[in-house]
Amino acid sequence: MAAPTTTRKKKGFHIDEAELLCKKGCGFYGTVAWQGYCSTCWRGECQVSRQAQIESDALFAKRLYESEMQQSGPPSTLAITPDQQASNDPTHMALTFPPRSPKPEQPPSPAGQQGVVSPGGAPTQGGQNETLTFDKFEEKRKQRQNSKTKSMKTLFSKGGKTPSRAEGAAQAPHARLEKQISMESQRAMGDFMEFLKILNRPAAQDLNKQCRAFVERLQRDSNLSVEEQAELVQDFYHSMGDRMSTHSAFKGTTSEQCSTMMDHLEKVIMTRLYRDLFCPPLSDDEQKDLAIQNRIRRLRWVMPSMLDAALNEDNTNVERLIEKAQEELIDMNSKRAPIDKLCCIVRTSKLIFQMVHQSQGAPASADDYLPVLIYMVLKANPPQLHSNIQYVSRFANPNRLMQGETGYYFTNLCCAISFIENLDAQSLSLTQEEYDDYMSGRAVPPGSERNTEPICEGLRMMYANLSALEDLRIRQDSLMENALDLQKELTAWRDGVVDRVQEVLTSKPLVVKRFKVPRLDDDITQEDNKDLPLPLQPVVVPMKPIA
Amino acid sequence: MAASSAGGKNFKVVLLGEGCVGKTSLVLRYVENKFNDKHITTLQASFLNKKLNIGGKRVNLDIWDTAGQERFHALGPIYYRDSNGAILVYDITDEDSFTKVKSWVKELKKMLGNDISLCIAGNKIDLEKQRNVSVADAEAYAASVGAKHFHTSAKLNKGIEEMFLDLSKRMLESTFLDDGASSSRASKHKSVTIVEDAEEPKSGGCC
Repeated sequence: MAAPTTTRKKKGFHIDEAELLCKKGCGFYGTVAWQGYCSTCWRGECQVSRQAQIESDALFAKRLYESEMQQSGPPSTLAITPDQQASNDPTHMALTFPPRSPKPEQPPSPAGQQGVVSPGGAPTQGGQNETLTFDKFEEKRKQRQNSKTKSMKTLFSKGGKTPSRAEGAAQAPHARLEKQISMESQRAMGDFMEFLKILNRPAAQDLNKQCRAFVERLQRDSNLSVEEQAELVQDFYHSMGDRMSTHSAFKGTTSEQCSTMMDHLEKVIMTRLYRDLFCPPLSDDEQKDLAIQNRIRRLRWVMPSMLDAALNEDNTNVERLIEKAQEELIDMNSKRAPIDKLCCIVRTSKLIFQMVHQSQGAPASADDYLPVLIYMVLKANPPQLHSNIQYVSRFANPNRLMQGETGYYFTNLCCAISFIENLDAQSLSLTQEEYDDYMSGRAVPPGSERNTEPICEGLRMMYANLSALEDLRIRQDSLMENALDLQKELTAWRDGVVDRVQEVLTSKPLVVKRFKVPRLDDDITQEDNKDLPLPLQPVVVPMKPIA
Repeated sequence: MAASSAGGKNFKVVLLGEGCVGKTSLVLRYVENKFNDKHITTLQASFLNKKLNIGGKRVNLDIWDTAGQERFHALGPIYYRDSNGAILVYDITDEDSFTKVKSWVKELKKMLGNDISLCIAGNKIDLEKQRNVSVADAEAYAASVGAKHFHTSAKLNKGIEEMFLDLSKRMLESTFLDDGASSSRASKHKSVTIVEDAEEPKSGGCC
């Protein structure tokens, strides 16, 4: 290491050690990836900038709210229930949440406000919240954790002394769940605020207010069935659509702007309500998820040719596309807004068209597309497939879902799932026996090694070797069999020969008769010999010496 | 549903028919005006979009191709749900494909009643010599189920433009007839949303 640096130093390639150190001067080394900071300082920097972002969002929301208030007069002039008042609190403000609150999505239920620290971080503190420091937040977090553990203990020891504490305890696991997810919501909120900034004031205000009211409303009515929730969400889309075309705040917006507004609305609402609405515990979605997952797992042996899928899997390009398409399908589960899930489906479809195009060189018709999509679903086995489909069909904006390309791809995915659920021997053009054999794992379809191909290279080689060995064994067996046959044949042949010889010997016994020697006549022999040349006589040839 | 966006009417048209009857060629000819061409720009022919202007009304056709293989027959209802029009394609040289069309029609009538406008297309009239489905039979059948029959050829570009135009017109007409019904539906919808609009008087009062 040292040698090359010294030689390079002469060429002016030297980097001073000071340049490698963290920009903050903490004594650790920094990297380019962290813009010259060391890991600790970088994290700190990020934290600060994120806080700043969140604070500016909150401020923006506050400004929106204040101007709204100025227009509408003091809230006291309107008859507002305590609940609504809470929602009008500037800290609850809009869809934004007070800075650094670890669980912005906590439903503002009355219990939440009494028992644990309220989502808005103590409503009593009001507008001060925005200026809370990180230390205070830490302190609060500790406090809450303490209260949680305390209430837990009371719950176990005395069966819950005070109702509010018991409720606090009941909410504890929920709160923790929400804490995990706050990152995504934060990002969605941030995006939404960014988006609102570019809108004109009244429109931004109105959107913000409507969103906030709707989210709170849905979270308040926690005992609604999924269908009712879906209806509420759909109604919200509908009335927001109407509002955008009629309300004065949205005057002068084009239809494209309206649809982007709707997209943003959908994103922010659904991201925030995701926990409550995705795969709700009261429905049988989870069971169906498992059922379809198991079903797909049992169908792992299905090959593209059985579905008439025109895929040339040997092509490396196609192979790469197949992998990407599967990633997209699996990625669908990690997205929160229906619109994002739909985008995953669209991307999968686009990749499928590419691979069909590469395989057969013609535009993909539905005859090509659907089988490949089915094959992709079978290969990818996306998690929580049923729940995702249900979630999208319940809560996506119908204008997007029912129409256009997206709707088409989504419908096809539904078709693919329905096909997989009802698949039988006939739909794969197999005989019932073949199908049963493959289903039970008694047999694998010929040439299916690729299909079960594990990702790991070593395993793949092992499978290749195993199949080679199997092949060798079969050949060895047949060789052995042939050899035994040959041996048997040879013995039979030998026995046959012996038998026949024996037979001949018995039927034609060897009788030795006396041999009569004919008397040789001298005359005759002389007569015969007279035509013959004389026998050769040895001649002595004198040898000439070689000069 | 015939959603009417700001730009005009949106119609969903499904293409049904056995595999190899030329559904894809038909729609590619219509949208791209190309047949078996190496220069077809689109990567796919399963979902295509065509914008029309009929008598000053803007119409947006979403054309959904469906997989024609027999094994996917059962998926039909998922495809044609909420569609405004259907084009049933058969191959004039293949009698089975015509039988298949009849079964599709029966199914569509059962599931969607008269909400859907139907077109029957006898495709591949460039192969007139090998015709196996008689013109009279086909047209009589179409008339009996209230569908329009068209003789088409994607290869020769015959009858396709007319067919889509006629279908679009009929879909437009039926939405006009529907308008009375849909307005009542909308009012019902509003009564549901009233909960959401409860907020509105507040903001209305302030402005």
